[in-house]
Amino acid sequence: MSVIPLEGLTEPTTRTGDLRRRLRALRTPGGIFGISWLLFLLIASLTAPLWIPYQVGQQALTHALSGPTGAHWLGTDALGRDVLSRIFAAAWISVGPALLAVLVAFGIGIPLALLAAEHGHRLERFTSRGTEVLLALPGTVIILAVIGAIGINPWAIMVFLGVLLSAPVYRVLLGVAQSIRKRLYVDAARVNGLGSLAVNAKYVLPGMATIVAVQAAQLFGIAILIEAGLAFIGFGPQVPSPSWGGLIADASKNVFNAPWLMVPTGVVLALTVIAANELADAIAGETNRGTPAHRKGRATAAARTPAPATRADVLLEVSDLTVSVADGPVLVSDVSFAVQSGRVLGLVGESGCGKTMTARSLLGLLPDGVAVTGGSIWFEGRDLVGLSERQLRPVRGRQVALISQEPMVALDPLFSVAHQLIGPIRRLRGAGRREARTIAADLLRQVGIVDVRRVLHSYPHQLSGGMAQRVCIALALTGQPKLLVADEPTTALDVTVQAEILSLLRVLVQDTGLSVIVVSHDLGVVADLCDDVAVMYAGQIVESGTATDVLERPRHPYTAALLGANPHVPENTPVPARLVSIPGTVPAPGNWPGGCRFASRCPFATDECAQPIPLTAEHGDGSVRCIHPVSAATAGALNNHDHPKPITGVSS
Amino acid sequence: MVAFVTRRLIFAVGTVLAACVISFLLVHATPGSPGAVVAGAGATKAQIAAANHQLGWDRPLVSQFWTWFSNAVRGNLGVSLINGTNIKSDLSTRLPVTASIALFATVVSGMAGIVVGVTAAVRGGRVDHAVSLGSGVGLSLPTFWVGIVLVYLLSIRAHLLPATGYVPFSVSPAGYVKSLLLPVLALAVAGAAIIARTARTGMVAALQQEHIRTLQAIGTPPWRIRYIHALRFASVPVVSVLGVQFIALFGGSIIIEQLFAMPGLGQATQLAIGSHDFPAIQGVVVIATIVVVLTILVLDIAVAALDPRVRTA
Repeated sequence: MSVIPLEGLTEPTTRTGDLRRRLRALRTPGGIFGISWLLFLLIASLTAPLWIPYQVGQQALTHALSGPTGAHWLGTDALGRDVLSRIFAAAWISVGPALLAVLVAFGIGIPLALLAAEHGHRLERFTSRGTEVLLALPGTVIILAVIGAIGINPWAIMVFLGVLLSAPVYRVLLGVAQSIRKRLYVDAARVNGLGSLAVNAKYVLPGMATIVAVQAAQLFGIAILIEAGLAFIGFGPQVPSPSWGGLIADASKNVFNAPWLMVPTGVVLALTVIAANELADAIAGETNRGTPAHRKGRATAAARTPAPATRADVLLEVSDLTVSVADGPVLVSDVSFAVQSGRVLGLVGESGCGKTMTARSLLGLLPDGVAVTGGSIWFEGRDLVGLSERQLRPVRGRQVALISQEPMVALDPLFSVAHQLIGPIRRLRGAGRREARTIAADLLRQVGIVDVRRVLHSYPHQLSGGMAQRVCIALALTGQPKLLVADEPTTALDVTVQAEILSLLRVLVQDTGLSVIVVSHDLGVVADLCDDVAVMYAGQIVESGTATDVLERPRHPYTAALLGANPHVPENTPVPARLVSIPGTVPAPGNWPGGCRFASRCPFATDECAQPIPLTAEHGDGSVRCIHPVSAATAGALNNHDHPKPITGVSS
Repeated sequence: MVAFVTRRLIFAVGTVLAACVISFLLVHATPGSPGAVVAGAGATKAQIAAANHQLGWDRPLVSQFWTWFSNAVRGNLGVSLINGTNIKSDLSTRLPVTASIALFATVVSGMAGIVVGVTAAVRGGRVDHAVSLGSGVGLSLPTFWVGIVLVYLLSIRAHLLPATGYVPFSVSPAGYVKSLLLPVLALAVAGAAIIARTARTGMVAALQQEHIRTLQAIGTPPWRIRYIHALRFASVPVVSVLGVQFIALFGGSIIIEQLFAMPGLGQATQLAIGSHDFPAIQGVVVIATIVVVLTILVLDIAVAALDPRVRTA
């Protein structure tokens, strides 16, 4: 719609929230400025007749076109009339009708949105089509035609503008109202017999309040601009009544000899619109103005650790790895583990234990503001810690590759599968376009895709979750990496698909001699796939060893408890009365105790556990971090069903 | 895709139809009558009635609408009540003026806005802060006021550009460009500010997508991630807003034409309304609606071309 910058009305990025909390967020410089200026303007415009120094029409031809003087603070116009007086005398006829337009827009938009959200598809289709047509009309021309029909009356014109603006208001509010009605507690209230009026009054309207406030501020600014534009071309309040658009039109006629005249009205008008927009931004909570510069908080590892004397078959050796938030808590502390060629290591633990951060640090792909702050990651004879982005790039894909948690969002939705595979294949394998296409098809076949041609031509949204994860795995294999980091590779998938992906990974390990690190909270996945296991708790490794040792003879109470929380019961075992859950939650980073971090949840904890607990050798090459390790005799305290071979653990 | 375009076409035709009805009703709601305009000031009631009868104004509304509409479909928008010129040919010389201003303003604001917005998103920090602040001010400035400031700076002070007037492309391509520059720049300030905000938000959101991490994890060069993958992702909202901008700037051009004495649709609308030239008002509304609807159509197709999720849904 013509002069109306509708995009200003796109749904604010805020969630429907507590308006009161939002109002407190107004204490940003922009919010304070917006509120103060608009309040000042409102009061000044309503009281203008009481205080303006000169009459609106009072001429003084001898002082015409003077700049700012002591008598005329903002100067005078071509007829010697006082500009300050005229601006504020014209304020109400600008502010008032604009407010009216906003009221009309919401007066139509809110009830329509509530009705359409409540009565569902039939009414909604009708109203939505109607507003769509309203949105597609050339607003300025229509308003001019309306002026032709009803004459020049700012209030009536703004009522009509309000009708046009109700279309975008309706569109945004309908989405909000629908999403609020879908919430479970609103559903529950309706099932319990809360009437439709009450539902709207109690849930929907309060939920819309923030967005309504944002929109109101934006629409006010838009209405002021449109009104001024119309007055500028002569369709505003008629002479002798001043209006902002008219004052600027007057000034434009004198721009040769008195350019100053442009300034006062233009600044007041611009300040008013800026104030409205700043207020809208402040309510929307767009305080993230100025994101931090994208500095990669890459580690300057305190001291270069010398290359560990590793055995030849060790591919990756992580020593004393520490990951922290910049100026914040430590997320991963002193983690050490090694991965041998062709073996699969499982990193296990509840959510918030630092598994994913550990895994991502192996590729240098930590989130902004998080960095490796100590330790080393030796891979193929060099320390990946402290490498620059440029130095890391050849490692990613070619040496270490990643499979992410959410296959459905891990592929670029705008490019076909073929495009997403061929680019990396050409870059990583130096293949030509045609050759790359063949390799892409081969890779897809390798990850068990039968209908290769169709998948190559598909876009990610056309694939199922399992299919997308296969494509992601194929993508990870394009650079023929030596190490694959799989971060919860099956968590987002259906149970049957999980099994397929796991067996695919197993086959890949067997066929290609790939090493894999699997991050999982699912002990079933680990038992199924892994040769070695490292159990993490609160940023530390608490137990490690071969999968058989750790899962069958857990020594750390946390490992034992995870196994006890396992919902899967092996065949020929009586179903336990109830599963054991681990009481409490993982302490948040920054709240870790100085001693054993599991102590508060551990049935065996004693006073000695308040001391820092070192890792001690266990399970052959493995280790455990506990001074009261679980033995066959004490295991019963944790497990109310003791089966030797756990399939799946539960957590998170 | 064919079904998609068909759906949008039906919507486009429906909207133009709605505009025809609305403009027809508005014209008939206007006090006065074409007969009074034709008969001139001082005409008697009988003279006015005779003129109205000759114009068919006394026939039932439906039959009048049908006559007008069936003519309009055949490309005949009637003649002006004031000077008898053919409305269609008058508007077809005016449309290129307004359309040129709106189109170039969209192109300029699009290019400037995307460069500035993407830079803000990629660089972050102070650059981002400055762009946020600048675009906040830019989109709040009234375009006609910006226009006068530009006239003062570039024409009156610097003598770089003509302050007013329009030179058709066929007369002098250089003159055409020069005559369009000021109105285009005046409109592009707010336009660029809005595009910059959209591009910045879109780019920041794009760079936080999970698929960007997948690309990083296989060692994709940063320029490729930013300017092929993230930019394409961000371009979907930017293109939508660009289309809306074209429509907004088309309306803005109607306001700003007066300042630069451009013989475009704005001038025609003002003249028609000022002189109660009924058929001309209808003609302007219909032409403007067709432009808007075609823009929306092109926009929908462009978004579908960019985003397979829209195309194949």
